Amino acid sequence: MKKTKDIRIITKNEFKNFVNNMIKDEYYNVIGVKEKGIKYVFDSLENADDLRLDYDVTILPPKKYFLPQYEKMMDFNLRESFNVKKDNSIKPMILLGVHPYDIIAIQQTDKLYLDAQKDDFYKKRRDNIIIIGVDIQKISPKSFAGSMKTHVTDFGFDLMITNLEDKYAITIGSEKGRTLLEKHGKTKSADSTDVKKIREIRKKILSQYTRELKVPKEEWSNVLAANYNHPIWEKRSQKCMECSSCTMVCPTCYCYDVVDDVSLDLKEGSRIRTWDGCLIRDFTKIGSGEVFRDDISKRYRHRFYRKGNYLPERYGFVACVGCGRCGTACLPNIADPCDVINDLSHFERSEDTSRFFIKQKSKVDEKGVIHVPRSATIKRAEKLTENEMFFEIELDDHKKLGHKPGQFVEVSIFGVGEAPISVSSGSSSKLSFDLVVRRVGNVTSRLFKMKPGDKIGIRGPFGNGFDVKNFEKKHLLLSSGGLGIAPMRSLIQYVLDPNNRKKYKDITILYGAKQPNALLFLDEVKEWSKVHNVKCEITVDECAESDCWTGCTGLITTLYPKIKLDRYDSENTIAVIIGPPVVYKYIIKCLETLGIQDGNIYVSLERRMKCGVGKCGHCQINGVYVCKEGPVFNYNQIKDLPEAFE
Amino acid sequence: MKPRVAFFDFSSCEGCQLQIADLEEEILDLIEIVDVVSFREVMKEHSDEYDIAIVEGSIMRPMDEHRLRKIRSRAKTLIALGACATIGGVNKIRNQWPTEEVIKEVYKDADIKDNEFFNVYPTKAVNEVVPVDYYIHGCPITRDEFKKVITALALGKKPEIPNYPVCVECKKNENVCLFELGKFCLGPITRAGCGAICPSKGSPCDGCRGILSKPDVECVMELLERYDLTYEEMKSRCMMYNTESFNPKDGMTIVRRGRK
Repeated sequence: MKKTKDIRIITKNEFKNFVNNMIKDEYYNVIGVKEKGIKYVFDSLENADDLRLDYDVTILPPKKYFLPQYEKMMDFNLRESFNVKKDNSIKPMILLGVHPYDIIAIQQTDKLYLDAQKDDFYKKRRDNIIIIGVDIQKISPKSFAGSMKTHVTDFGFDLMITNLEDKYAITIGSEKGRTLLEKHGKTKSADSTDVKKIREIRKKILSQYTRELKVPKEEWSNVLAANYNHPIWEKRSQKCMECSSCTMVCPTCYCYDVVDDVSLDLKEGSRIRTWDGCLIRDFTKIGSGEVFRDDISKRYRHRFYRKGNYLPERYGFVACVGCGRCGTACLPNIADPCDVINDLSHFERSEDTSRFFIKQKSKVDEKGVIHVPRSATIKRAEKLTENEMFFEIELDDHKKLGHKPGQFVEVSIFGVGEAPISVSSGSSSKLSFDLVVRRVGNVTSRLFKMKPGDKIGIRGPFGNGFDVKNFEKKHLLLSSGGLGIAPMRSLIQYVLDPNNRKKYKDITILYGAKQPNALLFLDEVKEWSKVHNVKCEITVDECAESDCWTGCTGLITTLYPKIKLDRYDSENTIAVIIGPPVVYKYIIKCLETLGIQDGNIYVSLERRMKCGVGKCGHCQINGVYVCKEGPVFNYNQIKDLPEAFE
Repeated sequence: MKPRVAFFDFSSCEGCQLQIADLEEEILDLIEIVDVVSFREVMKEHSDEYDIAIVEGSIMRPMDEHRLRKIRSRAKTLIALGACATIGGVNKIRNQWPTEEVIKEVYKDADIKDNEFFNVYPTKAVNEVVPVDYYIHGCPITRDEFKKVITALALGKKPEIPNYPVCVECKKNENVCLFELGKFCLGPITRAGCGAICPSKGSPCDGCRGILSKPDVECVMELLERYDLTYEEMKSRCMMYNTESFNPKDGMTIVRRGRK
């Protein structure tokens, strides 16, 4: 509770004047809670009489002012080769009538969007919003905020209103709030009776909740950690309509998608981000059409784990504030976290709460400009196969990309979109970097038509690359399947660089492709094998009689028995695997046969890395962001993540 | 070179083409990126040489089928325009009765026996006759989505039609859920892309963009009970555009998108 000097008293009439004065102040947009049919919404306020501070809950949370449903990120001009402008106009806003649970939800989103990797769009909006909260006067039937301890809050607001029947008390939460109140409202200071009354009112709120959690929020993570395979997920999800209404109305859901909108004459367009939801099937769909977490029961489960385990383990808070919106919006009535957690209440707890999460540092761009791509030029474009093409790219600011082997960039083509592509060159002294692209989605198909001199956008480098320091003084066993050779090439080029070669012992490169004409960089492989103590083995799955192929035939796994174990003292060998999802478990088995420990195996995984900075939610494997903690992982770290090698 | 575009109509009200004609000044932008070589509603000229055929309407007769096949063979890309073409739409309502009965009910004793115009069979959507490359759903279509599909094709990308239900867009519009107002709405199972225009104006979704997933029977029955809705209301909503997705005997059968 704030000190008395921070609490002001205002009569009901003066409060109306206060609100109308703010509305008249053209510096601000004033948003307040209003009626919409039988419900309430946050909307532009034109008159204090429209304000309904006695509401129970709004249809959508105030999130829509911090992360709008459709937010224009930038405008681009398609008549020029690379012309992009960020949308910078923002009018300061007063949000009037925010309930404590929503204030706490905003605090959580602040943490996600402002800590570490700042989101510049969110920050701009956040800095321009003044929050005037109100203590709850009517409880929404589905709410369980009392059990979540989010029914009151002492922080997170600029001003907080409490209805004292004949007058309002206004608690000052910030200097911004104090200035606003002094400018527009006539108040007097509160006395000890008022303070006592506020305390009583807040206490009374708690007693009015009819819904109660049987598991305190501090224990959600334990309960969920133990019940990942509980039949409840399959059973309840049978009724799911896959409409994602639960995530749309959630004050703590923040995943988004990005789309390019182009004018009919194709002259200009905008890049827009819009709410996305993990219950939607295409949420995890990658360029090639593969969908991860395809089964509805897994998507249904994911939402609860995100709220109750993944985010709590990462940030230290349960990402549910008990507002009850999802429970109200869900037609089959299966989305309510209170019901689900209560159903699990008499099942096991697990102390190993972080089993779906890994702790790994990731690079942070302090400048916080993470969404607007940098202009780059295609220097060289060569078709490698029918469906794969090689590009040499140079940034137009003539700076090196500065990547580590194994990292990726987001390639951006305005009007078409963005796609994550692994960097295919080592971090050598040259200014440019290489990308290899397979024609699968919109961006890659468009890239296929591009030629030297054309402009593209580049964001990144993103993610964790290979821990090349840790590989020093070790033998390296590098296995690539299919297009996996492209990112592997970045590591090979790095370790074969004359400046680096002596740091590593023997290097064995294993490479398998579907058929001979799908093999990439054969000339380079030949050069690699000429280097002292470097051995390359190539195989193809199948070979037509017409193919001119004298090499090995068979799956990549047939190559491992050929490796001489005596040369490969397994304890001093680092194995790296990059390939299509299906090959991992087979290769790992081979490596185990060779006696290579799990902790010495590294893999690079593919998911839908849309934003590259751990915000949009698409690339998640359980509690892990592939774009941030990956795409390169130590096998030991992720082998127990259920979603990693599904 | 700009792609050559031709419009064709089969059994329909031609309202979807009218939506395009209603682009008004924007038609000028449209013809900047494509050559419209045939569009009966707005021009006299016609050419049989086109890259993109945009087909409105359902297929009802052998003569329609013959014409459609010809169009398909000439076009590199075929787009189905509007509910009649994409899902059969209201034209499929009559498929619940034998065709002979329907003819008798409508034409009574008129002499139509050897007239090929009246030689009808149960209604088909365009993709039940020829392969369709892209769909522009809706009754009528939304101009915005038409523009999105055309600009995508002009930019060489695959048009992305939402694969999620209307609820997503309805929630973003912050509407009061129509179920809470005692109305049965097909939004939860209908393909989005319309911007939830009907529920946003207070009118329940009729499913004109096609059903995405069919929830299990038990779930639907529970829903009806919870919101005090009648089976009849649900049935009439479903029968409007999605006659074949709804079996009046079993209700909605269990078919899942996510579960293969």
